[in-house]
Amino acid sequence: MSQLFELARGTVARAQALGAAEVSVSVSRSTEISMMRRAGKLEQATQATSLGLSLSLLVDDRYSGHATSDLRPEALDAFLRRAIDATRVLEPEPERRQPDVADCGRGASEEVLDSFDNSRGALPVEARREAAERLEAAVDALPNRKQVLSATIYVGDSEEESVRVMSNGFEGARRGTGFGAGVEMTLEEPGGRRPEAMAWYGANHRGDLPGAEAIAAEAWKRAAERLGAKPIASGRYPMLLQNHAAGRILGVIGGPLSGSELHQQRSFLSGRKDTPIASDRLTLTDVPDIPRAPGSRPWDGDGLVARRMPVIENGILRNYYINTYYGRKLGMPPTTGGRSNWVVSPGSRSPAEILRDVSRCIVVTGFLGGNSNGLTGDFSFGVQGLLVEHGEVVGHIGEMNVSGNIEEVLKALVEPSTDVWTWSSLRTPSLFFDGIQFSGT
Amino acid sequence: MTHFSQFGIDAALCQRVLQAALSRGADDADLFFEHSGSTSVALSDNKVNRASTHVDLGVGVRVVVGDQVGYAYTEDLADTSMIQAARIAAEIAAGNRQHAPVSINEKRLADRYRASLPWEEVSLEARVRMVRDWEARAFAADPRVLKVETSLGDSYKHVLVVRPDGRAVYDYQPMTRGWVVVTAKDGERRESSAANLAQRAGLEFYTEERVARLCQKAVADTVALFEATKAPAGEMTVVLGAGSSGILLHEAIGHGLEADFNRKGISIFADRVGTRIAPEGVTVVDDGTLPFARGTINTDDEGNPTERTVLVENGILRGFLHDEISARHYGVAPTGSGRRESFRHVVLPRMRSTYMDPGPHAPEEIIASVDRGIYCADFANGQVQIGAGDFAFYVRRGYLIEGGKLTRPIKDVNLIGNGPDVLASIEMVGNDLHIDEGGWTCGKDGQSVPVSQGMPTVKVSKLSVGGVSQ
Repeated sequence: MSQLFELARGTVARAQALGAAEVSVSVSRSTEISMMRRAGKLEQATQATSLGLSLSLLVDDRYSGHATSDLRPEALDAFLRRAIDATRVLEPEPERRQPDVADCGRGASEEVLDSFDNSRGALPVEARREAAERLEAAVDALPNRKQVLSATIYVGDSEEESVRVMSNGFEGARRGTGFGAGVEMTLEEPGGRRPEAMAWYGANHRGDLPGAEAIAAEAWKRAAERLGAKPIASGRYPMLLQNHAAGRILGVIGGPLSGSELHQQRSFLSGRKDTPIASDRLTLTDVPDIPRAPGSRPWDGDGLVARRMPVIENGILRNYYINTYYGRKLGMPPTTGGRSNWVVSPGSRSPAEILRDVSRCIVVTGFLGGNSNGLTGDFSFGVQGLLVEHGEVVGHIGEMNVSGNIEEVLKALVEPSTDVWTWSSLRTPSLFFDGIQFSGT
Repeated sequence: MTHFSQFGIDAALCQRVLQAALSRGADDADLFFEHSGSTSVALSDNKVNRASTHVDLGVGVRVVVGDQVGYAYTEDLADTSMIQAARIAAEIAAGNRQHAPVSINEKRLADRYRASLPWEEVSLEARVRMVRDWEARAFAADPRVLKVETSLGDSYKHVLVVRPDGRAVYDYQPMTRGWVVVTAKDGERRESSAANLAQRAGLEFYTEERVARLCQKAVADTVALFEATKAPAGEMTVVLGAGSSGILLHEAIGHGLEADFNRKGISIFADRVGTRIAPEGVTVVDDGTLPFARGTINTDDEGNPTERTVLVENGILRGFLHDEISARHYGVAPTGSGRRESFRHVVLPRMRSTYMDPGPHAPEEIIASVDRGIYCADFANGQVQIGAGDFAFYVRRGYLIEGGKLTRPIKDVNLIGNGPDVLASIEMVGNDLHIDEGGWTCGKDGQSVPVSQGMPTVKVSKLSVGGVSQ
């Protein structure tokens, strides 16, 4: 870490000496090992260590951002000179000045975030090979192994340490480890289709990953749910949106919540703070201090202390994502520039309990393509899923689209379920909606 | 002139690193040196208020044993770091094959995108004037324009691929992209749209005609949305406008013909070579040789020459896109399709410029043949599932077709279909092939590479349209 600080501090000082009024430098070093196994052998092994530096500059109130991996001293010096010269030809924008150092700093401590697994350093390369072999053996032991045309095993881990030094006086260091394991599975189906699915899990600590059998079983379940998938008639249906897939729908509001989109008048959520934009069953909170969660962080992109922030409270929009720059542009107090973990408050019934009471429902298990319009909130996504009647799966669905307006859809939320997905920075249970537009045949 | 100096290395050092890579008896190895840089300037709020630069330097070492790959990279081009990376990559191998060192011959394979006004010689002030000019043109194009953002990005890549057989293939790869984003207001309604142009070229790319087209398209596409409403839902006839609708080929068939998916047997096209997969008259090509196109390469990232690969000829599937590993598996020559995002990434078979050869029909004739359907004019992203063959692409803007005529404008609709089914249901191919000049980027296994795509106007008898039930 001290080496990284030395490089970051030296770069800040050098940039200031060359004429920059404000400088913010991040230096990060990472190592990664990944292995891919298929058909009984190791097909790919990658290993690398990487060091990179990024900085932002304010020169006569003109702003620019830069990154380099060429850290030879003479190359870095030439890079800084060019960066500063480039900045001088721009137009001044004092709103780019750094925040007050009093607002910067660490939120949750390293102990609370607990994002570093000390055991990684001593882990032999062989341990990854063995993990990949175990996962492949678990796939081979599946009761329906004969139907599996191909299973690709992914095992990998990484470690990153980074420092941030800003000329306003803020300095911080953070580090984390990541472990991942997954299976991509392709099944054989009469008629030539080869439905595939992936189950992948990531965690800060190696011991938190699910066991090989659980990962193999989940990959099988997801792929098998795509066997014989076909479209059904277009129309409005109740929709149970599975927890791990929900990011595609909830993500539609991500852009429109951002300061840049508000400022560019490209957001349908402009002027909607403290008004209902969703059903009163929806509460969505930005939580940066969940131990071992992928979106957790001590500070945000501006160096501001990371804090818990309500985004939607019982359907009411409470906060936008506004960084220091857009706060000044919009005349609004800054919150934070980007999301950490999004936590959706769970309800009281399991998915099975909800589905039991519905005569006909589409369970959305995954998406294919699609996009949205941030100015209107309209979206259209391809979907895969299950047709469920009174809790029984009666068909597999594919080649269909789900379309609508995100505000109307969020207002059609009947209840969140209880099965919170913890493998992503979006921590949501499955969500049950009524009257959602699907198009098929 | 030697290109080794670009990276501060020499041929003897490369031989030592290759020897380390081959030290455990691998079949093959390569060193991929890359030195890249980019610059962008951006305008918003009537100010040129943002610039960025990026520099990247490093080498990737790949060791190949059959279809097994060991990979390591380093940003430090000192002897010890590179040899260590080579030893790590070599760990995958455990054989006894010997490779005698051979002398290294530097070469360039083609010259398809020489910039006449290279970006290294263009001042930042000139870039600033350009993005300002684009802003002024956008505001002047329509009184309803409320906000304009413009940006100009350019980049270069020096790459050098060194192989144990003595080949050292060098390439210089320029790229530029111009963006115009427009938000317009009509009464209480607001709409936003963007246009961009990209090519492997220098400043000469931005001719008066192109700049006018870029700015005009950004504004026209935005204000057209005021008239547009939601599309209908369900299966219907779809006419794809010429140009960027090549995204259909990219998703419906292109990915499925990348040979790594077929080598593993996980593509829906895996056992269909030599069979009819589309009607007579449908010819699909993936081409690495179009002068200046975004998807063009002089050499692929394994140091092999690239080519024009015919994938589907008059409806018959002819073959796949190969890198060396898949080509060896199938016993064919590589198609020059081995590409990687950077020295941090392994080579994969990838598309370059994918398009359909033109057919006999005038575009008006194709539209006139449709009683009820939709016409797709402007496209965004797409995605495919290789094995099931299901694919989707997003239409930003189009029209209803009623009684053979374009009527109500529509917007924001996802189209979904199954690759083999859709290819089989192509009914008419237009005579107006157009290679789109947009800045398309293809993602696969976490790697992004620049691609191009093109299409004549095409009629597909059935696709599922993700609109609203009427």
